[in-house]
Amino acid sequence: MRPFTYTSATTKEQALQAFHPNAHYLGGGTNLVDLMKEDVERPDQLININNLSYSKITAGANGGLTLGAMARNAETANHRDVRTNYPLLSMAMLSAATAQIRNMASNGGNLLQRTRCPYFFETSMPCNKREPGSGCGAKNGMNAVHAIFGYSDKCVAVHPSDMCVALAAIGATVEVQQPGGSSRLIDFNDFHRLPGDQPEKDTTLQPGELITAIHLAPPSFADHYYYLKIRERSSYAFALVSVAAGLQINNGTITKAGLAMGCVAHKPWKLIKAEAYLAGKQPTQANFDAAADLEMNDAKPLQENKYKVEMGRNAIVRALTQAFDRKA
Amino acid sequence: MPNIKNKTGVGQAIDRVEGHLKVMGMAKYSTEFPVKNKVYGQGINSTIAKGEIVSIDTSEAEKLPGVLKVITYKNAEKLNTFDQVPTAISTTTIAPVLQSNKVHYYGEYIGLVVAETFEQAQHAARLVKFEYRKDPNPAIHLDKHEGKAYKPKDMEDYVLGNLEAGLSAADEVVDVTYTTPIEHQHPMELHAIIATWDNGKVMAYATQQMVNDATIAISDTFQIPKKNVRIISAFVGGGFGSKLNTERHVIMAVMAAKMVGKPVQVTVTRHQMFTNTGLRQFNIQKMKVGAKKDGTLTALAHETLSHTSPTQEFQEPCGQVTKMLYKVPNNRVTYRLVPLNIQTPFAMRAPGEATGSFALESAMDEMAWKLKMDPIDFRIKNDTQVDLSEKKPFSSRLLVECLRIGAEKFGWKERSMEPRTKRNGNWLIGYGVSAASRQAPYQKTNAKVILALEGNKVNATVRMDGTDIGTGSYTIIAQTASEYLKIPVEQVTVELGDSEFPVTPGSGGSWGAASYCNAVMAACENAVKTLRENRNIKEEEEVPLAKLLKRNQLKQFEADGSAEPSKEFNDHSVYSFGANFSEVWVDKDTGMYRIKRMVNVGAAGKILNPKTAYGQIIGGLTMGAGMVIAEQSRIEPNFGNFITRSFADYHVPVNLDMANIEVVFLPEDDKIANKMGVKGIGELGITSVAASIANAIFNATGKRMRELPITPEKLISAAVEPNVAS
Ligand SMILES: Cc1cc2nc3c(=O)[nH]c(=O)nc-3n(C[C@H](O)[C@H](O)[C@H](O)COP(=O)(O)OP(=O)(O)OC[C@H]3O[C@@H](n4cnc5c(N)ncnc54)[C@H](O)[C@@H]3O)c2cc1C
Ligand code: SF4
Repeated sequence: MRPFTYTSATTKEQALQAFHPNAHYLGGGTNLVDLMKEDVERPDQLININNLSYSKITAGANGGLTLGAMARNAETANHRDVRTNYPLLSMAMLSAATAQIRNMASNGGNLLQRTRCPYFFETSMPCNKREPGSGCGAKNGMNAVHAIFGYSDKCVAVHPSDMCVALAAIGATVEVQQPGGSSRLIDFNDFHRLPGDQPEKDTTLQPGELITAIHLAPPSFADHYYYLKIRERSSYAFALVSVAAGLQINNGTITKAGLAMGCVAHKPWKLIKAEAYLAGKQPTQANFDAAADLEMNDAKPLQENKYKVEMGRNAIVRALTQAFDRKA
Repeated sequence: MPNIKNKTGVGQAIDRVEGHLKVMGMAKYSTEFPVKNKVYGQGINSTIAKGEIVSIDTSEAEKLPGVLKVITYKNAEKLNTFDQVPTAISTTTIAPVLQSNKVHYYGEYIGLVVAETFEQAQHAARLVKFEYRKDPNPAIHLDKHEGKAYKPKDMEDYVLGNLEAGLSAADEVVDVTYTTPIEHQHPMELHAIIATWDNGKVMAYATQQMVNDATIAISDTFQIPKKNVRIISAFVGGGFGSKLNTERHVIMAVMAAKMVGKPVQVTVTRHQMFTNTGLRQFNIQKMKVGAKKDGTLTALAHETLSHTSPTQEFQEPCGQVTKMLYKVPNNRVTYRLVPLNIQTPFAMRAPGEATGSFALESAMDEMAWKLKMDPIDFRIKNDTQVDLSEKKPFSSRLLVECLRIGAEKFGWKERSMEPRTKRNGNWLIGYGVSAASRQAPYQKTNAKVILALEGNKVNATVRMDGTDIGTGSYTIIAQTASEYLKIPVEQVTVELGDSEFPVTPGSGGSWGAASYCNAVMAACENAVKTLRENRNIKEEEEVPLAKLLKRNQLKQFEADGSAEPSKEFNDHSVYSFGANFSEVWVDKDTGMYRIKRMVNVGAAGKILNPKTAYGQIIGGLTMGAGMVIAEQSRIEPNFGNFITRSFADYHVPVNLDMANIEVVFLPEDDKIANKMGVKGIGELGITSVAASIANAIFNATGKRMRELPITPEKLISAAVEPNVAS
């Protein structure tokens, strides 16, 4: 690891002030420190933000819930209000990593975790995300775990988070503090970005901005929800494809659907067409099939990830079916 | 004379004698020994697959505080190098390193930084700059270089009868290819060493499975007398074959210790364990099976195509099982190797048998399905009590019993022959079976026992240079001494892993238990016999050990013992046998599956300790399940590096993946194998597990998965076999 200095901030002002372009905020460190050991991230300063007062989970506006950015993933997933009103989020978060990592990982850090693309991790290989302009090794290389939607010539990586897939389905806003002292709100769907010409940018966060909270939309899917994660082993593996499905059902009709896929694009992939299609329809196999097809017809698989199309389609249908079958 | 009252002797399920040391963190692994003034070495790896180093800039690294030396081929000690390329690699082979500017594979060591702290060494290692003349065409893909395949030196083609005639005489023929990926041994404990060089004498705490062989490799590499090399390997945190031979970090540590005049510790990182400590090679196995309608085998062929490195040759014997498991008059087993720019492969748990049994036992299942015959009946029909390849009878072979008893325990009769017919909701349910065999080698071994009288008690110390690689050797050796000295195990101390102790073959190849224990038995029996003869004690008279020493007027007494294969052993084929049963539930839409149950029945001679034996089998089954579920090291086709770089992407099974496991040992008394009737089990447990799971997946889905691992992505993309009703 390269030498770096370490500062521990106790107020947001201290943290924001300490920031400079080569510094990094340190959450649980489960992603950042790994990448430093791999020589991928090379900060010259770490600013510990774990002692800031953003680690609570509190009631939000309109019956929503506010998750502190420094609250731990484990604590969040197991929080009573999350389990009761946002069981989809809880289920997704508990499918991630291991108990030990979830105990360390912070909510803010989870949003900002970086791709698992192997080229990104190996400094001897080209990767535009790690080293802009060096080329994308994966585009014509080993891309079995890469994107089928929304990629560019510059980058075909996927966002690996499970939590974020559920957030995309549920709806949320990210609150950030800006270096100047003001704060702003970012709609969750605008938080992560597609790679385009700047794959080095995962999100729309500006340098130095500090995430303080995630505000969840009022709960709609406490009764009918499912997080399906398809992976190579039963635990401790990132998804090949995942689907977060929430349904609001009134008198046998779907009044609202929240749907997103993970590990298929550079950002959590909200299934906007399928959501719109299902609203007002009956929860039937035929409608689930049609909703899935509507989305998957747009998929453009790469050389090695053609399997993701059928897997993704089946996963959408299965997640919807499980969500519907789940008795409140 | 077995001691009926002995609760800690052979066959008792006692706890591990070293267990508390491990739980309390007091068992010392190689780099935990306190060595004064030690400094740290960090290996540097090449970042090209083939080419030459044209320049090296060490200035930035050397400027860093704490850095003592940067060693590259330019300033390295001259070592003994191979006189033939490729050299057949064995456990005593020299391991030259940093001897030239040539790069043969991605990750090859090209330098070592020595610094006062671990962190300094790691950081400095990244600052050494290498420029290469890169060969634009490294050989990375086996399929693309098939044309370069050659017959490995010690692997003659094996031919029995006439294969073509056997195939024409068959009513049904299965002709298919199976592939198994590169896997890595990945023991929990990283490879590591602390080496000291003192006036031409080497002292090293190193994690090695075979300490005597390591002393030979080091002395031959540095061309110093073997007696000047001492290795201590008191505890080894797993090996799985990767610590059998002397890897290059060992040589680098010794070289650095010599060059800086201080003890040097080198720890191989997990990432380096992909490129510098051996691997199980990628195998393409072509199988041909011919059989009559009634299930009689007429022909069997097993052709293996693998790779080796440009400088050393290694081939795991995949076809070994095909030569001896069934009665078949026409048999052919061949090997071909292609040199690739990948590090030299080496033994990994049940080399050959683990991968070969996947091919053979899958092919047998394919044939049984073609014949519409129960796969157990098919195997039993072709059982043999003679090893046709050696023309020797088996010393004991309970394969049929393993299959029958396993079928009973597993509930095999509930299996439906037609795939895709057993269902539960979204799940397709399948049952699979496979036969397992693993050679039970046995080698010359020496042991010393030291008896010390304290009051009315005798404490015994057993010494040998053998190692306990986490399998339970300490415990079974103590139990053996307890048995033959007739003292409780609490009075036995076992000291292992010091090259100054009596020579053993070390731990590997499933020979440890049999070899160690028979030598210990011999030493104990010699001790008792000598003490009795000295006092002319009559045979009928029972004299406890303490009395015996007293009657000899001795406070202390030492005896040596050794064991080696008998003529009878050499006249027989000595194997352990087993059967694996699996129940697998496959999700019909997502490609995910769960292994629900496994039953393993083994006939592996005398079980010295059911508890440690059970642990070995569970470990084997888990590793076998890993071969199926996800284990693979993937190589980037353009760069030649492993893109699986850590345990985050090299997936081994987790607890949730594992099934309910039932392990059954059949009683077996095989005195031909050795006096104690012990056969190894460390490798039997992994053998053919993959086939039983793959066969269950076929029974569930009608999909024949011929390429390991069977990941959800492959399963979802595979087609149902044409002759299966869907
Ligand atoms: C082996 C392994 C397996 C895993 N498996 C999964 C999985 O299956 N599914 C899954 O979803 N995740 C998985 N993870 C990832 C894990 O969820 C993330 O590492 C974790 O959520 C990151 O949180 P952290 O607090 O540790 O972030 P850190 O590592 O501390 O930070 C990550 C990044 O976010 C920045 N940052 C952190 N907090 C803030 C803030 N408040 N404001 C601004 N910037 C901030 C840091 O500067 C850094 O750049 C796995 C991780 C590992 C190591
Ligand atoms: S896909 Fe993105 S992260 Fe991966 S190599 Fe290409 S640019 Fe880098």
